[in-house]
Amino acid sequence: MQPRDKQNVPNPITTTLRPYWQYRDLVRNLVIKDLKVRYQGAVLGFFWSLGNPLALILLYDFVFTHIFRSNLPNYILYLVIGVLHYNLFSQAVSQSCESLTSASGLIQKIYFPRILVPTSSLLFTLALWVIAIFILVVLYPFLGGVYHWGLLLYPLALGLYIAFIWGIVLTFSVLQVELRDLKHMVDIALMFGFWFTPIGYDIHVLKPTTREIISLNPLTQFMDLFHALLYSGTLPALNHVLIACAWTIGTVSVGMVLFRRKARHLVEDL
Amino acid sequence: MPPAIIVEHVSKEFILRHNRALGLKTRFLGLFHKNKREKREHFLALDDVSFTVEQGEALGLLGHNGSGKSTLLQIIAGILQPSKGRVIANGRVAPLIQLGVGFNPELTGYENIFLNASLYGFLNKDVRKRVKDIIEFSELEHFIDTPLKNYSSGMQMRLGFAVAVNLQPDILLADEILAVGDQAFQDKCLDKIAEMRSNGMSLILVSHSEDQVNKFCNYYVRLDHGVTIDHGPIIKLEVEKVEFQQ
Repeated sequence: MQPRDKQNVPNPITTTLRPYWQYRDLVRNLVIKDLKVRYQGAVLGFFWSLGNPLALILLYDFVFTHIFRSNLPNYILYLVIGVLHYNLFSQAVSQSCESLTSASGLIQKIYFPRILVPTSSLLFTLALWVIAIFILVVLYPFLGGVYHWGLLLYPLALGLYIAFIWGIVLTFSVLQVELRDLKHMVDIALMFGFWFTPIGYDIHVLKPTTREIISLNPLTQFMDLFHALLYSGTLPALNHVLIACAWTIGTVSVGMVLFRRKARHLVEDL
Repeated sequence: MPPAIIVEHVSKEFILRHNRALGLKTRFLGLFHKNKREKREHFLALDDVSFTVEQGEALGLLGHNGSGKSTLLQIIAGILQPSKGRVIANGRVAPLIQLGVGFNPELTGYENIFLNASLYGFLNKDVRKRVKDIIEFSELEHFIDTPLKNYSSGMQMRLGFAVAVNLQPDILLADEILAVGDQAFQDKCLDKIAEMRSNGMSLILVSHSEDQVNKFCNYYVRLDHGVTIDHGPIIKLEVEKVEFQQ
């Protein structure tokens, strides 16, 4: 129920958002459906969403401590932060590509705001990821994590990151409708992306030219925020925050404009 | 009272893409092979169609396959955008282009009610108030907590119909789906629609069966190749005559 006084004043933001707000339970039901269907019949159920990142962390920890030595202190913590946050990005982006094309059955039969389809796909990934982040919360003190006031800024950094991902998710879900190869290309790009992001290594050990290239990757800026807050126990440098904000504004505007332009005629191309 | 639906000079042009290049491979081959290149053809599915449906009225859209009646229904439902003209709907439109849109076979009947209703823009708290009526109408009390994949197709349609009619739409758009389940359930559906119409609901029924339109509608529009070729009121006398003979 909305307060009366709000309804009397026509606010441009609430009038644009109201049709989407009306469908909030659709998003919730779609996410719950995906969660229920995904682990249908699996004995361990939701624990499987812990299994994948945990296995990855153990694998990388083995590789980087026994094969390639790293001299970062508390290396596992550094790695866990990177792997978890990169996983959120790669799963969301990879899944989003097919969100619209696989929902064609709904889109052709009934009208609802189309933007909710890729958005609920992102929220589904996020819901699984929240379960995985519990690993980090539980292990944080044991891996050498520091409790400091800066941790309170983490939700803001995460929110920025999710908005950045949302922009990409919108863009790719629309592009996939016209270019069905996109998903395959994205999956390969995501494999490269892992190594072009400072996840298993520290950006400062790289040669200056390599470092320049790696810095062009928007994920490098976000990783820096997360590593500063969660690993070093410091506040992130202002210029990294600003670059991350700029990237977020960029992807969200591209995604929104593209979606607005294409959404009306999407159904004819599915 | 404003009319329930106004269709104003609606035209719809589709672009038929022969050899549509959806992948990189086909796009690449198109550079060298002329016959693999995309050919575009404009196709006018609807040409300047106009009509008005008053509140409580029932309109039958008649026509052969490919006459544009389903396209028109999709435009009224907001799924497709008209190329020209506009559609004004006063009230909540419930498109029944397919029964049980979004039904997932892994979820139970109960869970699917909420999923289906939220696609019509309903909040879960509002569905909770109606869920008892929906289950009762579908006559599936006994199976409501089993997964939908164990339902027969008739049961699934019964559930889909029960959700749609219990959401109390102002305007119902139906695409030949008024025959659900066995004879007894069909009669129940028809009674329900008659009851809703007497409460002021408008109906647009797409059909190629004259009998169905004669039975439900008091007005008809006949389309052929996207053009209105005939329209007018349906005189109920004919129906009564048939009943008399029986």
